[in-house]
Amino acid sequence: MRESGEGEDRLVRLMVEYQAGRTEAFEGLYEALAGILRRHFEAVSRGGATDDLVQDTFMEIHRSRRTYLPPLPVRPWVFGIARNVLRRHRRLAWRRARRDAFGAGHDVAPSPAVSGAPHQAIDARDVNDALRQLSPARRHAWELHHVEGLSFEEIARVLRIPVGAAKLRSSRAMGALRAALGIVKGERRE
Amino acid sequence: MSDRVPAALLEAVRADFRPVRPLAAPWRRTMMLAPAGFLFAVLSPLFWGLRQNFSALTPSLSWGLSFLQVVIGLVVVGAALHEAVPGRTLSGRALAAIVGGAIALEVAVTLYTALMVPTVVPPGAWIRFAWECWFMAGLSGAPVLAAAAWLAARALPARPWLAGGIYGLGAGLIADSGTRLFCWVSEPAHVLVAHGGSILALAALGALTAAAVEGVRGRTLWRR
Repeated sequence: MRESGEGEDRLVRLMVEYQAGRTEAFEGLYEALAGILRRHFEAVSRGGATDDLVQDTFMEIHRSRRTYLPPLPVRPWVFGIARNVLRRHRRLAWRRARRDAFGAGHDVAPSPAVSGAPHQAIDARDVNDALRQLSPARRHAWELHHVEGLSFEEIARVLRIPVGAAKLRSSRAMGALRAALGIVKGERRE
Repeated sequence: MSDRVPAALLEAVRADFRPVRPLAAPWRRTMMLAPAGFLFAVLSPLFWGLRQNFSALTPSLSWGLSFLQVVIGLVVVGAALHEAVPGRTLSGRALAAIVGGAIALEVAVTLYTALMVPTVVPPGAWIRFAWECWFMAGLSGAPVLAAAAWLAARALPARPWLAGGIYGLGAGLIADSGTRLFCWVSEPAHVLVAHGGSILALAALGALTAAAVEGVRGRTLWRR
């Protein structure tokens, strides 16, 4: 799903109302952003606690709501918080693993890789497999643009890279996906 | 897409739901530091004593360059406060410009002062002088560093060590604006090692402080 500039305007309005103390605005923000955040965490996290991460992000959004400066775009701010939450989550997981390993007398083992959500269609599995073949940097840029609907300026801000690099990563990811899926000029080769 | 807020989350949010005023823009918060920055630049040399060859310096070489250091120091602190706001992290190019600019300013001020009023460390006193300047400059920068740390911690830095390092750098520049007015030595080796070392130490202290603040905050919030 692609969010338009109008969608971003709506998010800004919701944030302003949320800061003014309207609970409905928080619910509106959740409805608009939970799906995007869930997919974001599925793409970047190595653990399977996506729902926990989404909830923790909204708790952190609530605690830090005064750090949003209207009328700046909301999504880069939300992704900034999501990045923070993920960092804390990873540190906590690492501490727990280390503590458990120390307690059990075993070596520290990293968390297992995320298995990904079950997919409903074979095509979706194909796409998912193809996505996994991409480097994380390209995959992330592609997903932010084509799945989350972020503009390249927003992606550049989220990933802290130049706009040109965001375009290049997304474009190369798209090229690799087309090649992996056997798609030429918008059609799938069987 | 119509996700509903989980009941537990909504309950937790409602338990602490009140209107909030958005943080002021980073440059406005930096302006809150400006009076303190300029005050330190003036008070620090007056407190420790003006350099004995102060009269040999023209006003632009003494107060003028120190004023410039305070201004650039405030700009650097402002960049750190910008970095501390979620979603407004600085690009690699901006970071390079800020750090490179701060270092270039310190080196340029040092070399220009040495060129205009060349003075050297007395024989046998190199380490003592270096230690004294390093310590006094660090002490002078500590209040600015603490104020900047407080302002940055009110946001939510995604890279706390980086935000801290940058505001430490800014605090170091502001502190050095006063240090160069009480230290009468302009020998570049002394200034770059002692005064520059103090700036680096404040940057490192800033990075550690910010990381520690975020670590404590993270641990407190996540202990549920």
